Amino acid sequence: MSSTYHGEDRVPIPPADAQQFTTVCSYCIVGCGYKVYKWPLGKEGGPLPHQNALKADYRRQQPEQAGTWISPAMHSVITERNGQRFNIVVLPDKDCVVNKGNHSVRGGTHGDVLYAPDRPTADRLTHPLLYRGQSQLPTTWDEAIELGALVIKASLDKWGSDTIAMKFFDHGGGGGGFENNWAAGKFFFTGIGTKMASIHNRPAYNSEVFASGDAGIAPLPSAYLDAELADTIMVIGANSYETQSIYFLEHMLPNLGGGTLPLKQQLLPGEPHAHGRMIIVDPRRTSTVAVAEAHAGKDNVLHLQINNGTDIALLNALSRLIHEQGWHDQEFIARRTENFAAFQAANLAQNLDEAVRLTGISKAQMMTAAEWIAKPKVNTARRRTLFLYEKGLIWGLKNYENVASVVDLALLTGNLGKPGTGCGRLGGHQEGYSRPAYPGQRPPVNVDEIAIKGGASKVFWVAGCNPAGGTLNAQQFRAYLAHRTALVNQALDATSSGSLNDRMAAVMTALDKGGLFLIVQDIYPIETAKYAHIVFPAAQWGEMNLTSINGERRLRLYQQFMDAPGIAEPDWKIMARMAQRLESAYRAEGKAEMAARFSGFTWTSDEEVFRAASAGVKGAQEDYGDTTYAMLKALGTNGVQTPVQEIRQGMPVGTTRLYMDEKQFTFIPSAWPGFPPQIQKLIDDPRYPFWVNNGRANHGWQTLYDDLRKPYVMGRAPFPHVEIHPQDARSLDIANGDLIELFNPYGTVSAMAVVTDSNAPGHVFMLFEHPKGWLNSLTTDYVDPATTIPYYKGTKAGIRKLGELPGLGEQLSFIPTNRT
Amino acid sequence: MSEVSRRHFLKLGACVVGGACAADALPSLGQAADNGDVTTLRTTLPYPRLKLAAIGQLTTEHELLTTYPDQASPVVLVKLGRPAHNGVGPDRDIVAFSRRCSHMGGALAFRAETGTFHCPLHYAMFDARKGGLMVIGQATDNLPQIELEVDTTGDIYAVGVKGLLYGRQANMLA
Ligand code: SF4
Ligand code: FES
Repeated sequence: MSSTYHGEDRVPIPPADAQQFTTVCSYCIVGCGYKVYKWPLGKEGGPLPHQNALKADYRRQQPEQAGTWISPAMHSVITERNGQRFNIVVLPDKDCVVNKGNHSVRGGTHGDVLYAPDRPTADRLTHPLLYRGQSQLPTTWDEAIELGALVIKASLDKWGSDTIAMKFFDHGGGGGGFENNWAAGKFFFTGIGTKMASIHNRPAYNSEVFASGDAGIAPLPSAYLDAELADTIMVIGANSYETQSIYFLEHMLPNLGGGTLPLKQQLLPGEPHAHGRMIIVDPRRTSTVAVAEAHAGKDNVLHLQINNGTDIALLNALSRLIHEQGWHDQEFIARRTENFAAFQAANLAQNLDEAVRLTGISKAQMMTAAEWIAKPKVNTARRRTLFLYEKGLIWGLKNYENVASVVDLALLTGNLGKPGTGCGRLGGHQEGYSRPAYPGQRPPVNVDEIAIKGGASKVFWVAGCNPAGGTLNAQQFRAYLAHRTALVNQALDATSSGSLNDRMAAVMTALDKGGLFLIVQDIYPIETAKYAHIVFPAAQWGEMNLTSINGERRLRLYQQFMDAPGIAEPDWKIMARMAQRLESAYRAEGKAEMAARFSGFTWTSDEEVFRAASAGVKGAQEDYGDTTYAMLKALGTNGVQTPVQEIRQGMPVGTTRLYMDEKQFTFIPSAWPGFPPQIQKLIDDPRYPFWVNNGRANHGWQTLYDDLRKPYVMGRAPFPHVEIHPQDARSLDIANGDLIELFNPYGTVSAMAVVTDSNAPGHVFMLFEHPKGWLNSLTTDYVDPATTIPYYKGTKAGIRKLGELPGLGEQLSFIPTNRT
Repeated sequence: MSEVSRRHFLKLGACVVGGACAADALPSLGQAADNGDVTTLRTTLPYPRLKLAAIGQLTTEHELLTTYPDQASPVVLVKLGRPAHNGVGPDRDIVAFSRRCSHMGGALAFRAETGTFHCPLHYAMFDARKGGLMVIGQATDNLPQIELEVDTTGDIYAVGVKGLLYGRQANMLA
């Protein structure tokens, strides 16, 4: 039998004089606090409390949950630019109120992803690369910026702003933050002025919750405390044990287990309190369902196993049941909302029998859900229900109405602006959005279709995302990328001149003929970078100071504690380099107006960009006002919850929960719209009998860009997996660990089968992103026309068995993850 | 319980439910850990070779609770009835693991039907047949596996540990 990965059997302890930094997990929205210890290689702390920085007695076994245990994956040895070597430990902070020392598999393995030339992170991008000689070869910043600036400027001058397209991160946490977002936004919106902007894994420049914004609700209105106080937590389209792990484990579960009863009694006297209940809407029986049941008892967890794409029908049916029972919050509706009549006409008209047929959920279950959401505890005390939704809803059938239907349910039941209530995103990434206004309109232009496939743009700058695999309908997208970038390659191959101007001229000729000049800015040579003409090496988390907020708007400083590899730079600096080059080029031509658009990039520190970025968050949930790095440094991993209301005695005063005032809201009418033509066509075609749902898994983050360097994680996930029902597996002769192919008219992908009854027969679940098989090769090109958000979560496919991979079944475990 | 288990094995049964008692129930010191001058900073750990049981004492799917490499480190020895990674014995099905969850040290419970270890604190699950592979959970390493040897008389010896035991800077406390 093959063996299973195990880390080292010892770790060095930080000595008492180790340097200490505070930071926040680079990954998910929860934003767990971490402490970083750094000290020279060759030195170690001693086992006695005064001999080490953790003040722990390492002669003894540390008790459970001590917060003083360093796992091998939390440690690394790094080499700085000057050649000095250091031990680094990234330890969950037990003094942080978010995680209290807890961590997930993702955040707990940060040691593995720090750059080290002798570890699996050795393939970090260290130098700019330029397409040259049918290859991508290292070059200087000056040359890479010069060629990029020549092509961008020539395109801008000749064809206008919209010929420059971008797809950039817009989030917080690793590879994001207010600093980098502000610089990128200022470059593309103030400088270039392009509408051909798109975000992260989306085809456009949009909010994922336009409907919530239109209703007057910011995406993150609640505090994690509200999950401890709620009577009912309703989770829609999220697998929180695996994707908001520590929010779920440290704040939701204690409520379900009764651990927060004293807190409820203390903070909310005068009403009855009990253990919290949880409603989970998911087509799959997930590990979240299993863990919630184990902790709360089956009677306190309601799993609504919904058919793909039918959330609106379910949520409107719940609204209708609640309204029929008279459990709605009449006083709240009258005092704080408008547009109820439109909501009544659209949402409450949902036929209940049709809802049962569409959703696959029984009327009895719907009634239980309605009770748990809104049946008053006693005449005077309404239930406090916290609605939390994420990609299952956001990326569902029709983004705008999907989000509207849960927002409406929250308004109907008065669940905003009170302890234990709220209606917001659970979140994926952390947030750190601050940019000048996007020059486009709503609905925003579909950049994938118009700019890239349609040819409207000629330069495409991609940063911190991997659309070759991660965007919708990705196989088609790759085909266009390959074809259009190859035209530029051929032009460059045919240029024998040593002059960059001549090369620019060759590129321009190719662009005129349909070519695409591709710039990719990232930390690793990702799939999209394979097609690039220029690759810019970016700094990552820990290699620059940055700031972000978590899912309860908690703003913190993520301190720099090490050098970026080679000559890599923070994203904001790369944007500034390019802007300054363009500014000087326009100035040299006497074009003052154009030069001015690219001015103001002369920042010399991260904090200067942070301060500049405060202009972009005024009045928003992120508003941090006059907060400085020094204040955030003093506040450590607990930071301050935005919006910051004032600076009092030199410290920011934050906001625990939004809408405790008399803020007004608007109902957004939303009726179930039926399936769009692309999906209906697949539904009607017997060659594609399987619904393909998809999502993330506990052990991996996003495209796995970091996880590919974590031997522990990859030992568990060498291929993307597809969960398939035993009945379907039998009929296709598929066993655990078999390689299978999924196919439809949009593309094909292979993956590894996991046979489990987590889905209903006829429905499979595939991991959303894995470089050894991109689910998005199967997604259609359908987007909600109102928001340009894709229906990532629903496509249909045929499945066939490819065969077994020897050894794979032995190496992996196929015990179902949704049991406890 | 057998003679051997009475002599050597900690009684942890009460801690399996809820896990709250685990920290109190387990001794917090290894045998030689009282002396603060003893350094733990060796780079190669000299593991002791300790007899855990004789093959004849094991019945399929019944766990034996013992300790290794010292009394502060609870360990489960189990005959799974099916071949396992690093399994020893004639059927290559005898394995041993740390009983402290490699996430944050929760006291693991073994479930024979599935051959899995379960943590009551944050619900991590480890596969005993697959070298302690984490099936699901938030641990940052697979469950530390005790390296075993069987001598010609059928005695089972622990000779080392793969992975770092929860709550330790090095597997050998002193
Ligand atoms: S729950 Fe999220 S923020 Fe916390 S450690 Fe895990 S990935 Fe990081
Ligand atoms: S201690 Fe075992 S799952 Fe956390």
